[in-house]
Amino acid sequence: MKFFDLHVHSAFSGGTSSLEQLASTAKELGYTGICFAEYFQNENQLKKLKEEIAKASRNVAIEIYLGFEARSPNELHRLVERRKMFDILLVQGGNLKMNRLACETPEVDILTHPENNRNDSGLNQVLLKSAAKNNVAIEVNFREILLASKRTRNSIIRHVSNNVRLAKKFHAPIILCSGGISHFELRDPQIMMSMANQLGLKPNETKDAISRIPENIIKQIKEKKSEKWIMPGVRIRWNNIKN
Amino acid sequence: MEQYKKLKILSPTLREKERYISFKIISEEPVVYSDLESVIWSTLLEFYGELGMSQMSLRIVKNLYNENGQTSVIKCNNKSVPKVIAGLGLITRLGESRVVFKILKVSGTIKSLNLK
Repeated sequence: MKFFDLHVHSAFSGGTSSLEQLASTAKELGYTGICFAEYFQNENQLKKLKEEIAKASRNVAIEIYLGFEARSPNELHRLVERRKMFDILLVQGGNLKMNRLACETPEVDILTHPENNRNDSGLNQVLLKSAAKNNVAIEVNFREILLASKRTRNSIIRHVSNNVRLAKKFHAPIILCSGGISHFELRDPQIMMSMANQLGLKPNETKDAISRIPENIIKQIKEKKSEKWIMPGVRIRWNNIKN
Repeated sequence: MEQYKKLKILSPTLREKERYISFKIISEEPVVYSDLESVIWSTLLEFYGELGMSQMSLRIVKNLYNENGQTSVIKCNNKSVPKVIAGLGLITRLGESRVVFKILKVSGTIKSLNLK
């Protein structure tokens, strides 16, 4: 079974571990692929990141993807314009405006921690219907639960469980990510699945959330990045054009 | 003086079904057993509470702790395996060093854990 962690922060985006440290720990824990979620600055930074990722993937035999996490509507707009230049587009949730924008933008792959710094779960039936329609995955972030304690952890778990319940009802994809900023914040896939099980997902749904859904996201990205792709359901068949 | 007699052993169908979880500790520095035991108990007690813990039948198997390989084994009942594994994920530090747990195998017998 293939496991993916599509939300990890490296030293380039406020993390404390290097790309290689993160990649080698992920490999040791049994992941097939990881995605480094960075904050977009300019195209030179993008080039440099691609070089660093190529170097890390040569040293550690693991699939490495480059993702960008949008923190504001302007940043999201800039990233949507450059969508084909990187792999995964994540949106930092928590702010209701960003949650809505993420769920309504088809180019977005993952909405990260929608309940972050909120008194509610950050998602409702309207947003989850849009997320299901646009195939935006709702993230269950392990780091939030890991770093909180007592009353804060209690409220985070309550909000995440609520989101999981609603996402299941409206068929929005759910994805499990560590959200780690250090290689000591990555977690074994089995631990992530067991925690998701405690949050209300059934065992087969937990497997989907860490394996099938991320794999589908990656498959779609590869398809979208190809020259043949125009829009969902429409792509060029070169043979027909030649004839 | 009246001596206590041993209870008759329960038949296998009446006994609680047990599971052994073997795991590896990835840490900055080698970990001592006493630290491991206290941190596991305190973390799980804090997360699940006294009632939750009593329903797990949790025991850390001391004689299966391997200090060189940094592996250990936890025994619990079959219904609480996901709870115990999720609880292990909440441990961030053992003593002074940061740790990550890697689950090696979940099994019904110690023999089939293939520790050697």
